[in-house]
Amino acid sequence: MYGATVEPIEDIRTDAEKLAGFEARIARGEKIEPGDWMPDEYRRQLIRMISQHAHSEVVGMLPEGAFITRAPNLRRKLILIAKVQDEAGHGQYLYHAAETLGATREEMLDALLSGKAKYSSIFNYPTLSWADMGAIGWLVDGAAILNQTMLARCSYGPYARAMVRICAEENFHRRQGQDIVITLALGTPEQKAMMQDSINRWWWPTLMMFGPHDTDSSNSAVLIRWGIKTKTNDELRQAFVDQTAPELMALGLTIPDPDLHYDAATEHWHFGEINWDEFWNVVKGNGPCNAERMTARRQAHEDGLWVREAMAAYTEKYQS
Amino acid sequence: MTDTHTRDTQWLRYMVLHQEREDKPHQHAGTVHAPDAEMALLNARDVFVRRPECVSLWVVRADLIFTCTQEELALHPDWIESLQPSGNPVEKYYFFAKLTQKGQFTHIGEVEAQNPTHALKIALQAYPDTHGFAWWVFPVKAVLKSTPDDIAVMFGPAAVKDFRDQANFHALSVLRKLMRKQEVEESHES
Ligand SMILES: [Fe+2]
Ligand SMILES: [Fe+2]
Ligand SMILES: [Fe+2]
Repeated sequence: MYGATVEPIEDIRTDAEKLAGFEARIARGEKIEPGDWMPDEYRRQLIRMISQHAHSEVVGMLPEGAFITRAPNLRRKLILIAKVQDEAGHGQYLYHAAETLGATREEMLDALLSGKAKYSSIFNYPTLSWADMGAIGWLVDGAAILNQTMLARCSYGPYARAMVRICAEENFHRRQGQDIVITLALGTPEQKAMMQDSINRWWWPTLMMFGPHDTDSSNSAVLIRWGIKTKTNDELRQAFVDQTAPELMALGLTIPDPDLHYDAATEHWHFGEINWDEFWNVVKGNGPCNAERMTARRQAHEDGLWVREAMAAYTEKYQS
Repeated sequence: MTDTHTRDTQWLRYMVLHQEREDKPHQHAGTVHAPDAEMALLNARDVFVRRPECVSLWVVRADLIFTCTQEELALHPDWIESLQPSGNPVEKYYFFAKLTQKGQFTHIGEVEAQNPTHALKIALQAYPDTHGFAWWVFPVKAVLKSTPDDIAVMFGPAAVKDFRDQANFHALSVLRKLMRKQEVEESHES
């Protein structure tokens, strides 16, 4: 009951009764709302996930933002600006969802700017050509949609509702990416080569976005038990490959995985082993762009200080 | 730049309520932070109206909303009955409810009451068919609203950005056509 101006309603149940009631609600498919009882661990896991997710949206603006001034024509430029703007909005929706759990915006921003917080490893790779705008939209946003469609069904109401809103917008991101990839893949030999180079660089980092194997993921079991996640990392990764690989190949592009093939017995695309050393190296801060991204975020925050000061001064002047 | 601490506050939280069409009720969209309601309304427009479905925006300070969930009421069925008017002057309150598990908080109506808990009690009695799963009440006078004059200026620009709609890209039909062609070729080969 946030914002309450009256005595909170006293909960006289024992902890065991509270937990049993909570798990029964999740089993019935009910949404947990701010004010409802929840285990500390549920709250902790949600704040961790939602704030990391918010940071990823915010840092995710940087790789594509770098190409706004290099878009090949005005329409592509407007589309890219709109997409990057959406990601800023997604960060806001998610910080809000974390705030309903008691996290403050100040704490979360501090954690990001001090380098304490994690964000998606994918944004620590560089964007080198216009074709990367296609690869990011199709692969990176496409992978995010699979994860976010699952989270739109999660047990915590404010997170689920933020995801519904985000998923609707992400579909535009994936489509505009596909549109760029199709144009280049069916274009001149130089355009096709540029697109192929981009797929070669983004394919594996995108598969890493889904996170470690289920067997190596310490949080997976509890997240699934409490309805935060309903699918495992490996299930989502497989769904992504099954959907994306044949579409890219239909465009005459190749996928940089010699082990990739369709397995008629399982009706899935079999793919090679991910380079987990690379993944953990990027997560630990040693990816190609980790330092650059953090510098850019801190700089943006510093550069905005005068705006925040001006707004505060305006309020003081006209409200007092 | 050495100090990475944010140093400044992120200000108050404002709840944002938006109306997609004249014939639909206001619904919760999310929150923004701002030093005052006027700037909260501008921030709300930037954060929540990048697409054309908006005719009206409201903002209200989050700490002025009294919230209550079905679980809280069920724990103390007699709590709501025990609530008494406080002797404060009567004022108007908005009543919002989450009507379905997956739903968003939605404007149900207004009540007159002397304080927030009293308003909740009256609202639950006044709208017995719309009980739902969680409720908000807040004073009408605490809300800052966009005006009809704001519609063109604040919400108009989103209307022309049709490229934000995925339906305006033909990627899917191109991919389907290519994949069908490939299937035909493969069946000829074998
Ligand atoms: Fe994203
Ligand atoms: Fe996003
Ligand atoms: Fe996106």
